[in-house]
Amino acid sequence: MRVVVRTVSELCITVGTVIVLFVVYVLFWTGVKADHVMDDQIDRLQEQWAQGAVRPTAAAPGGESGGEAGAPESAPSPGPYSTDKPFAIMYIPRLGFTWNKPVLEGTATKTLKKGLGHYANTAQLGQKGNFSVAGHRRTYGDPFKDFPRLRPGDAVVLTDGTTWFTYRIDKGPYKTLPTDIEVIDAVPRKSGYTREGRYLTLTTCDPEWGHSHRLIVWAHLDSTQPVEAGKPEALRR
Amino acid sequence: MYGWIWRHLPGNAWVRALISLALVVAVVYVLFNYVFPWAEPLLPFNDVTVDNQ
Repeated sequence: MRVVVRTVSELCITVGTVIVLFVVYVLFWTGVKADHVMDDQIDRLQEQWAQGAVRPTAAAPGGESGGEAGAPESAPSPGPYSTDKPFAIMYIPRLGFTWNKPVLEGTATKTLKKGLGHYANTAQLGQKGNFSVAGHRRTYGDPFKDFPRLRPGDAVVLTDGTTWFTYRIDKGPYKTLPTDIEVIDAVPRKSGYTREGRYLTLTTCDPEWGHSHRLIVWAHLDSTQPVEAGKPEALRR
Repeated sequence: MYGWIWRHLPGNAWVRALISLALVVAVVYVLFNYVFPWAEPLLPFNDVTVDNQ
């Protein structure tokens, strides 16, 4: 009898310890890991861009020996992004002056562990349509923890290594249901946009630790400038 | 349970303590690297998209 009681209590203590460890893992360790991985992704992107392999288009034969950077083709359509790979860096001054995260292609669970995820079937960065991005509210570095603080007029700046894209938030945060997939339509109905344009949608979960709803913000492309021209206005201080 | 493990470890008290420590570290390592990454997606924190991917 005593052995049974002792074993049961030992098991209970063990389960309790494992649960505490799991909480530590979710709250703390995923953040440590994600910060490391995201920095790594950004480093890799910047390395790629520094080597000039900016647009991994299918036809690009590596380094063009002409080297005349002064003649940008008019709005070159970027090749398809490769799934699970980073292709841009996002800056949102409202979320912190040092807030910057890599944007990866796809919204699979494993992709979102490494950064923000671009909905694969939505427009590409700066192109006509709705460039839509999802990110964690909590855990994995808490990228969108302060999402509700976003306000109309706030800048969302992205770079793909050649161009700075400055989007301005028009509406949000807007609370909706997880099944409301039309928020990432080319012209989202609830956004107030009426015609086609170059839009951006950010999505995350709501409430902070739950999954019953989603928070959305919509933005439009306000300006672009080549990286040679320096950081855009919104990122200067 | 733990008493049973303790009695079955070889060596004197110090060696047993060391082995126990190593076992605890191994268990925590397995939990953090294999069990928790498997269990974590079952929690709702990953649901941040609107198309349920």
